[in-house]
Amino acid sequence: MSEVAATREIDDHELVGQADWVIGGDAARKGRRQAWYAGYVTFLAALAYGFPVVQAVVKTADPAALREQLASPLTALVVLGAIVAVLWTMYAAGTRRGPVVPPLPWIDHVVTTPVDRAVTVGRWWRLAFGLCAFLGLLTGVTVGAGIAYGGLVGWYTAGLVALGGAVFGWLAASLWLWGQVRCWPGAGRGLLTLLRGRTALRALHIEVLRQHAANSSTIGGSVVAGNLRTARLQLARPVRRARSARLRAGGPFVVFVRRDLLGMRRLPSTFWAGLGLSILGAVVLAWALTHPAVPAVAVTIGLVPAYFGYGGWAEGLRMQADNIGTPNLLGTSLRAETLAHLVLPSLFTLLVLGGALAVAGIAVGSVSVQAVVLVLVLVALLAGAHLLAAFRGSPPKSTFSPSGTGPALLIAWYLLPVIAVLAVGTLATVLTHSSSGSLVWGVLLTAAIVSWGLSKSERLAQEHRV
Amino acid sequence: MSTITQLGGKVRAKAVGKTVDTTTLLLPTTVNADPRKCVVLRGPNGSGKTTLLRIIGGLLGPTTGTATIGGVEADERNPDVRAAVAALIGTPTTYRDLTLIDHLVLVDSSWGGDPNTADDRGLALMARLGIDHLDDRFPHELSSGQEQLFRLALTFARPSTVLLLDEPEQRLDTTKREVVTELIRDRAKDGATVVMACHDPGMTEALAHRVVDVKPAR
Repeated sequence: MSEVAATREIDDHELVGQADWVIGGDAARKGRRQAWYAGYVTFLAALAYGFPVVQAVVKTADPAALREQLASPLTALVVLGAIVAVLWTMYAAGTRRGPVVPPLPWIDHVVTTPVDRAVTVGRWWRLAFGLCAFLGLLTGVTVGAGIAYGGLVGWYTAGLVALGGAVFGWLAASLWLWGQVRCWPGAGRGLLTLLRGRTALRALHIEVLRQHAANSSTIGGSVVAGNLRTARLQLARPVRRARSARLRAGGPFVVFVRRDLLGMRRLPSTFWAGLGLSILGAVVLAWALTHPAVPAVAVTIGLVPAYFGYGGWAEGLRMQADNIGTPNLLGTSLRAETLAHLVLPSLFTLLVLGGALAVAGIAVGSVSVQAVVLVLVLVALLAGAHLLAAFRGSPPKSTFSPSGTGPALLIAWYLLPVIAVLAVGTLATVLTHSSSGSLVWGVLLTAAIVSWGLSKSERLAQEHRV
Repeated sequence: MSTITQLGGKVRAKAVGKTVDTTTLLLPTTVNADPRKCVVLRGPNGSGKTTLLRIIGGLLGPTTGTATIGGVEADERNPDVRAAVAALIGTPTTYRDLTLIDHLVLVDSSWGGDPNTADDRGLALMARLGIDHLDDRFPHELSSGQEQLFRLALTFARPSTVLLLDEPEQRLDTTKREVVTELIRDRAKDGATVVMACHDPGMTEALAHRVVDVKPAR
């Protein structure tokens, strides 16, 4: 029996409102208005650009062949795989930076009070939940309306797609929160908390909120500063697996390949994430390369997971870039070490892409030589883009911005490698489909990207000496 | 394929100084060091010892004076300079997915060491520093003193004609300082040129053939 001296009623909302005013003044109300405005702008962008693009893609393809392929079990499997991958990513993101991240002063002075935690942190959850549900619904509406207008499906199916988008957004937000709740051990963290948002908010531990707020500041700061190494280290879990495994000594080149293999053994999540994403990308790419009716945008879409899949296997390359500027410990030349770190990701990507193309070839009866060469070109292109990404160095300074690097320039700088892959990969495929002789342009553009990546790595090694 | 020229161990820094904007990091200082000798840089915090070591190692360009390694301008962009200089200046970046012994095997292999005996060399070096029992630890699992010993092991694992050390005694207890002193002395006896910044009078006394006092800028 607990001993109760006295009880007192408190109005949680009233107290939080007062704290809100004391700490932020009118900032909270202004923040809400900004969120509504951002939603309004996103809606307009989807209406002006998203919807026309989707319906144009459908109209430029062969609708009958496309309808038949989209209704196939393989498409359902790929879509399901993509959904599972996104939901798993949301859950994993929640374990590092959940949806509920108030500023540290709010955590220390308001969340620590006896006021109901579901009320003190509710605002951040509502914002994250609203954002996910809105984006899911908007994506569903844009895609649904686009494919219905393009004549691919009926309006009834379009409505279902829109509804599916909203449900997907809700599920993604809930899993994001679930990941954050499960950061702290204890009871009451089962699947049911997915359905009970307020219970989940009350289960959030203060240390988790502090840690995630600190993670958020560090990651946000390092991303803005163009220092992705710090962000990566902040997100990374300490390695403890396969401790007894040893790096087998070898030649100055081979030992780096073995190093990367051992790294994957000790960080299996990077291997499996790379494999899952690469398979996802490979299925879409193989479909696009073996079916003439498939719109060119399928290559662009397939290259996105393929790019990130390659990146999952390229941790060694990023670690090499991290070492640049420190006193030299290794005897292998920079170029040889760089090439050694490309061996495993390129080999794995080639196996996955080649395997997917072989399976697709068996299904349709044949595979063209151009498709085989295109696979090789795409693997080289992914390698070149990851060279650009790993050795991107510091953000460029804008002569027009007083701060040096404006947000637009920073975003462009981050996106450059992936844009290079999407643009060159799509262009190479389209050119090859139109004329087999045009493949040479794809090869030349890819060679230029690889060469640019290698020269960037050498320039970065030279630049740090001031 | 590239060709590496093996540079001699003569270190010559003539009146090297460093100024960034209006801040003077190092007043013009001269350091001459020869093979089999150890030169100790001494001076209060902020006097520019690390800057001087960085200039000698070619990691930083001097604003005044010249620095050479084996008669060649000290510039780490030159592969010959990189091959000659082993430096422990600041924190070397380690691989978070490799254990201590893996790091030493990697360094050894990258310099063309015999693969059949790389593990033995790595373990022997760790044993010399008293950290062989930590061979299967990851770098993030070390105490600050153990980490310093591991950094020293990494630096000693690679061949070099010039050894630059920035306060190798940092975070080490008295016994370990004696171990490190022996290791540095042996490296000098084997022909290396050692230039090190040091705040420990005992180590300075035991190792220094010459002491250079680095004067603070202000």
